[in-house]
Amino acid sequence: MSKKILIVDDEPRYVRLMEANLISDNYQVLKAYNGEQALEIVSNENPDLVLLDIMMPILDGFIVCERIRKFSTVPIIMVTVKGEEQDRVRGLDMGADDYIVKPFSATELLARVRAVLRRAAKPTNIPAQSVFHHGTMDIDLAKAEVFLNGKMVYLSATEYRILLQLVQNVGSVIPSEQLLSDVWGEEYKKDKEILWVSISRLRQKLEKDQNNPQHIVTRSGVGYIMPEMREGQTN
Amino acid sequence: MTDEINESVVLKPEDLRAVYAIGLAIAQTENIDSALDLIVQHTRHMLIFDNMVLYLPKDHNGLDPSYARVIGRGKCAEGNIEWGEVIASQTYQAKQTSLRQEKLEGWENNRLFWRDFLGLPIRAGEEVLGVLVFGRFGGPPYTPDQVRLAEFIAAQTAQLIENHQLVERVSKLEAERWLRRMQDEFITTISHELRTPIGFIKGYATTLLRDDTKWDDESRREFLTIIDEEADRLHELIDDLLDSARLKAGTMFMQLQPIRIDQILREIVVRSTNRYSSLAVQLNAEHGVTVMADPLRITQVFDNLLSNAVKYAPGAPVKINVKNSSEICTIIVEDQGPGISENHLPHLFERFYRVPETSVSNHGTGLGLFICQQIIHEHGGDISVCSEESKGTVFTINLPCQGSTKDIPPAGEEPIA
Repeated sequence: MSKKILIVDDEPRYVRLMEANLISDNYQVLKAYNGEQALEIVSNENPDLVLLDIMMPILDGFIVCERIRKFSTVPIIMVTVKGEEQDRVRGLDMGADDYIVKPFSATELLARVRAVLRRAAKPTNIPAQSVFHHGTMDIDLAKAEVFLNGKMVYLSATEYRILLQLVQNVGSVIPSEQLLSDVWGEEYKKDKEILWVSISRLRQKLEKDQNNPQHIVTRSGVGYIMPEMREGQTN
Repeated sequence: MTDEINESVVLKPEDLRAVYAIGLAIAQTENIDSALDLIVQHTRHMLIFDNMVLYLPKDHNGLDPSYARVIGRGKCAEGNIEWGEVIASQTYQAKQTSLRQEKLEGWENNRLFWRDFLGLPIRAGEEVLGVLVFGRFGGPPYTPDQVRLAEFIAAQTAQLIENHQLVERVSKLEAERWLRRMQDEFITTISHELRTPIGFIKGYATTLLRDDTKWDDESRREFLTIIDEEADRLHELIDDLLDSARLKAGTMFMQLQPIRIDQILREIVVRSTNRYSSLAVQLNAEHGVTVMADPLRITQVFDNLLSNAVKYAPGAPVKINVKNSSEICTIIVEDQGPGISENHLPHLFERFYRVPETSVSNHGTGLGLFICQQIIHEHGGDISVCSEESKGTVFTINLPCQGSTKDIPPAGEEPIA
């Protein structure tokens, strides 16, 4: 079944541009011209991906992203404007998975969409029903759900993939570059900033004390590790 | 000097009250003249003088009287402030208090014709800001206590001038900061405005260039039309930027010639209503109204006003009325749109200014009305706006008239010599 993509932009010509290209690549397209419409469509239609413009009147892209993240883990690509680097970090900080910079080419847009959808796809090599325990954190690998003290935590698709990489390599350090290319793709290998923002966001959601993390520990200059935890140990 | 005052001057209660009032006047007013008026009023019974003049330095050199009050016996010489100039420049150069007595020629022995002048430097640190001169006609000469009191007044005046200079400097800095902020906002706006059409051109061109897809004729035409229109938009934007820069630098020259404004307006209305399907314009103008104008530039002004109406008063009908007198032609462009809030009206013609509430949803640079105003000014005319929220907006343009004549050719044809 074709993936459903929601386009959010107040410029009808941008909506049309993205729509034409996505439809020609066999995606199903949903359209919103403002933030409120976008929130409604995300909650009612359950899209597979959101392309979200930042500069919109009333509810801007950042606010929309933040609100979506309160109830959905749908992958979000922020559409930013060149030269506004801080927007990129802010978008990721609000829980976006990726960004694309205007002006963009049609092929660039489609490549980003494919990359993010690929990342969001559930990994297939996880045994069904398996649940991973790490201190107070439980991860239902079959359902891709994360719990802290039994309470469900919402993670974005990208955040979940980072966590999964750490789980699959529990006890060993994953170099930053490897984490970047495994989670985001080869072309993101050097983009340390995107990794920092996502790790810090993950810690905000998972760690009791962010200055003394138990699940995601930094190995300076190398990468990140999820330390092995003895049976019965809590954090 | 301060120590001496402490030792020797004993102020009477009414003097103390006057000194207090002077201090208060300085603290409460930013206006030099009205504070000096108060000083004169409170000082005259303590010091006894017939005139008081404040001299401030001229731009290059020398001193100019900036404030002068004549009271008592001095009134017979009102308006004549020259008699303070000698002591003023003497005090200014010496940078210290000076006394001078002048005796009227032939009346040297009659005290009534003596003039005693007291010059006091107005000091701010090492700098002398000006000189305060007190003149007393008919003696007796100033006593040391009176000199010290005058020095106190001079010190207060220095404070007053310093305050005033500070206020001026602050408002100048604030104006500069406001301009810088407008420029920053302009850069943000302009980069957005320039990038938007570029984004469409790039996006739709690369869409057409995709070699993994075949677009049908209709889509191809749609995309090419968008590219074409966005290229036009970019072109217009660049023209606006250049016009604004030329107008600012004073290098846009008008080709003024007698033109038939009614005819030009008719053409503009036809073109605009063809371009914007939602625009309805009612034009009331008698035939043969002639103004001195550059047809290209005057067209630009009305094009701009009408496109603003489409943008900011969508769907609202527009009326254009032309009123003609022998010297002035008044053109009123009126819409019944949502209007503009009162606090934005004074800034509407400023370069880069955009009404914040409408600027997110509408494209614009904040240059259009600035360009309109400058063009109208270049014609020797004026443009003004009034607006009421939820009622509409009215732009009024006055242009110098040529009277009504049938000899003037329609616009676009060769102007008469």
